Amino acid sequence: MSDAASRLRRLAAFFSKGLLFLATALSLVAVLLIILYIARDAIPFFKLRGLKELFASASWFPSGHPPEFGALAIFIGSGLVTLGAIVVAVPLGVAAAIALSDILPYRLRQAVKPVIEILAALPSVAYGFFALVIFAPLLQNRGGSLLALAAWLIALPLGLLLIFVITEIVTRRVREDVAQAARLILAATLVVILVRGLLALSSLLGRVAISSGTNALNVSIILGIMALPTIVSVAEDSLQAAGRELREGSYALGATRAETLFKVVIPAAGSGIIAAVILGVMRAIGETMVVWMASGNAAQIPSPWFNFLSPVRTLTATIAGDMGEADQVLGSERYHVLFALALCLLLTSFIANLASEWILRRQQRRLGGLK
Amino acid sequence: MKIASIFLTLALLAGGFGFAADANKIVVDGSTTVGPIAKAFAEFYMKQNPGVNITVSESGSGNGAKSLVNKSCQVASMSRLLKLNEYEAAVHSEILPVAHVVALDGIAMIVHPGNPVSKLTMAQVKDIYLGKIKNWNQIGGPNTAIVIISRDTNSGTYETFEGKVMKGEKIAKNCEYVGSNGAIRQRVQSTPAALGYVGIGFLDNTVKALPIDGVNPTPETVKNGSYPIARPLYMVTDDYPKMGSHLYRYINLYLTVKGQAIIEEIGFIPVTSY
Amino acid sequence: MELQARKLFDRSLTGVSIMAILLMSLSLLVLLGPIFSRGAGAFVFRATNEFRRLNLEQFNRGDAQAIAEETRAVSEARKPVYEMLSAFEAELADMDASRRRELRPQLKEIKNLLRELLGSLPGEIEAVMLRQQYGQTRWDRARYKLGQILFREQWDYSDKRSMGKKVLTPRRQDFAGTRLEPLFTYLERNLKQLLRPRLTFYWRFLTDRSLDSHFFGGIWPEILGTFYLTLGAMLLAIPFGIIAAIYLSEFASSGRVTSLLRVCISTLAGVPSIVFGLFGLAFFINTLHLSRSKSVLAGSATLALLILPTIIRASEEALKAVPHTYKEAALSLGASPLRMVLTVLLPAALPGILTGIIISMGRAAGETAPIIFTAAVSVGQPLKLWETLSQPTPALPWNIYNLATEHQAVDEIRHVQFGMVLTLVLLVLLLNLAAILIRARVSKKMRG
Repeated sequence: MSDAASRLRRLAAFFSKGLLFLATALSLVAVLLIILYIARDAIPFFKLRGLKELFASASWFPSGHPPEFGALAIFIGSGLVTLGAIVVAVPLGVAAAIALSDILPYRLRQAVKPVIEILAALPSVAYGFFALVIFAPLLQNRGGSLLALAAWLIALPLGLLLIFVITEIVTRRVREDVAQAARLILAATLVVILVRGLLALSSLLGRVAISSGTNALNVSIILGIMALPTIVSVAEDSLQAAGRELREGSYALGATRAETLFKVVIPAAGSGIIAAVILGVMRAIGETMVVWMASGNAAQIPSPWFNFLSPVRTLTATIAGDMGEADQVLGSERYHVLFALALCLLLTSFIANLASEWILRRQQRRLGGLK
Repeated sequence: MKIASIFLTLALLAGGFGFAADANKIVVDGSTTVGPIAKAFAEFYMKQNPGVNITVSESGSGNGAKSLVNKSCQVASMSRLLKLNEYEAAVHSEILPVAHVVALDGIAMIVHPGNPVSKLTMAQVKDIYLGKIKNWNQIGGPNTAIVIISRDTNSGTYETFEGKVMKGEKIAKNCEYVGSNGAIRQRVQSTPAALGYVGIGFLDNTVKALPIDGVNPTPETVKNGSYPIARPLYMVTDDYPKMGSHLYRYINLYLTVKGQAIIEEIGFIPVTSY
Repeated sequence: MELQARKLFDRSLTGVSIMAILLMSLSLLVLLGPIFSRGAGAFVFRATNEFRRLNLEQFNRGDAQAIAEETRAVSEARKPVYEMLSAFEAELADMDASRRRELRPQLKEIKNLLRELLGSLPGEIEAVMLRQQYGQTRWDRARYKLGQILFREQWDYSDKRSMGKKVLTPRRQDFAGTRLEPLFTYLERNLKQLLRPRLTFYWRFLTDRSLDSHFFGGIWPEILGTFYLTLGAMLLAIPFGIIAAIYLSEFASSGRVTSLLRVCISTLAGVPSIVFGLFGLAFFINTLHLSRSKSVLAGSATLALLILPTIIRASEEALKAVPHTYKEAALSLGASPLRMVLTVLLPAALPGILTGIIISMGRAAGETAPIIFTAAVSVGQPLKLWETLSQPTPALPWNIYNLATEHQAVDEIRHVQFGMVLTLVLLVLLLNLAAILIRARVSKKMRG
């Protein structure tokens, strides 16, 4: 090949690589622009009102005379619904991930995967519509009975399990021929106590009057269902990544499946599960439509703080509700405070993202070494 | 080279079309109270003039004002007048806001029909929203905590309520906020303990409107001024629209017989007399 | 621990995890069940004569002669109703004042309800708004209105300890002895003749424009708007996404810059959707002035940013999954890296890339927060293609929110709301199904 031709070829290669790099750099530019624009319009707020008021005061009156911008209640509101979503999604999600990775046969696993994908693909406005139109009236009219039902569903199997364990432990020392009868009597008594206790609890719960169906409980449950697919898929991937050899080694030593899972697999995949939870948290914090439609939007700190039955206001709903203020012409504190809130959201998701990435990469390295 | 020139031509064409169609598009933005009127007028007008596209958004009176000043809408439907700083910003952007009063409205205090309370005074409404009266049994109802509902802060209805009822004092913290008249009515009709406020065009038989200081919110009491929480509904344009243009004809629908019939059918009060 | 306890622990773990899967599936069922069943009600329902008359007069659809005949028969059936009304009004004038005071407001209510049920009463000026010109188009709503006519809703406030209880008293009792009394039995017995309901499959719900703020008609502008927004987002995001994926998987050095790029992509993936909306308004509309007001262009640009990371990730995975023997074979034959990518790598990875694109389409179609202030309006004409550069549009996700909260008569149009939600959910599910099928075919090819 002639000198000129090869130089041309190299130039072309360099050019095309450069163009490719530029196209990729678009995402870098986008992120920088987003951070720039949000920060640029958030900083004037902090210059005008300082840091303390936004984070320490719970009086949110942006249109009052004089206006107050205490967003503490809003931060707590976001935190509360996220916490609720995690409480709903993590146990369910991890248990489902365990089922998918270790317990279900191949066919059933393939049948369940679409369920998770559908839950992940449903638009957030559909969830919000459900929360507002179907779930909120249900909570309001039959809230007490729903709570009672939930209590029964959760407490009964766990309670029966506990009774069985207790009878086993207590009758261990007893002679064999009497043991059976003793176990039955003990079990029967404990079951009666459990049932009566549950009946009392459920009648107490049944009398709870939920005055407003659009509250933190409504939103937490729906957000939990929305975060579930994320947690399940990432956790399942981590559990799978632990590898067959690890599991088989444990089985070879005589462990049951449950013991293998709890003592070997989950510790190995532990950081992956934590990353899954962080990703679920990000999903819950950043969700807008569901909270805007169904959380009640009351900028108050519930009393007591864990009262999920009271309406709350979240960061995303505040931004969405007041977003029309995002107009530079009438720039004012009300306009800048929204960007300040958006900046907080952005920073939180940024940190959470980095954390989960770091954890996942660390787990990959650790488990990769084991292979 | 060829691709670039094709693209350029297409872009110019598109821009050209967009530019030419400017006189035939009207962007309306603003109040959710005036929303039904704006939407009904838009559909009525578009039916008679098929080449025109009138788009209506309902994001709140405050947003309407901002869009007008920002030159991103031609009509700002508002349930309050522009505030002084909005006028300032308008002048700054060389916009001359002209407010057309398209209808009259009253703000009715509504409760669930199952609520035995049958009347309220202005002072009571203010105390309830201040949080001083927390339970229905303090004003003749059963022992249930009052769920107060209000409009979000970019709402003209909220501003009117704040100005005429709260007189500038701050609403209690446990108040729930929703984004529109329709949303307040929805919450009240499904929540027995709720109290909210809507424009009278949003009243129906699923909620109960309470008389304030003995006066019921009806078209008559709004027109003769006896209902204490009444206000005009505006559509604001930049300067008076050019006569004969689509914008001019759309805005002045409220002066026509059919336009006033529409306003009445929706439930508001056409300005025909005092 | 004892063997039995260990076995028990094992079994209970199995039980708990299977219960979790069951709960997950149950929640999906609870979510989709009402949406599907009530959403289907927007398409398949018993339509009355009013519906067919509306279709004929507003959309020019249907057998004019048959409908005219039906309308004649229906008017015949309605005559007694109006006769009873006018007879009663005459009677009312002669009644004593107290009875008149009692019955007049009820008469007004009944007349309003009759208007909503059957359309304008004869002799009245034709209303301007469509919702007053036509009666109930759906049989289920008609029966609900009938219930409201037959029974008066009263509230019993006698129990001071709780809110009032609803008490339904038949209106017949109030009007006993008057000329209006037989009206109620007549209505109850003959409602079918008055409205002639017939099971209809209103598939044109998807292609009709909405009339009178969604009281009648369909959701075509919203569907078209969603289509434009999604198409625009894909057109903007796909080229950049695929190019970025190619660069990252083939040409990038594993240095600082590359890892910075990767961090940026995953950061973009984690940004909340409302922040995208805020940025879209502040940047695309207020700074770049892509359009004077909201527009499909600005909305598409915002959505494109939202789905860019997903496309990059999916494409990169697809590219990495191509066996390196393909690449090495091409390179060994003398192809330049770029040529190898274009002729060997991309075609092989295409199904995977396509899967990612389709799933992103579903995401872009369903997102609301980015388009609230960049592209979406409540009412507007369906746009022509060139108008999308400068005009806003109704869109399915935004209008679902709008109809469910802001609308003036939320309860009257419940079926439209559910119909919209069903359409959006089906759209997203179909897209995902297509992606799953493609993926299944690919994995079969790769395995087999």
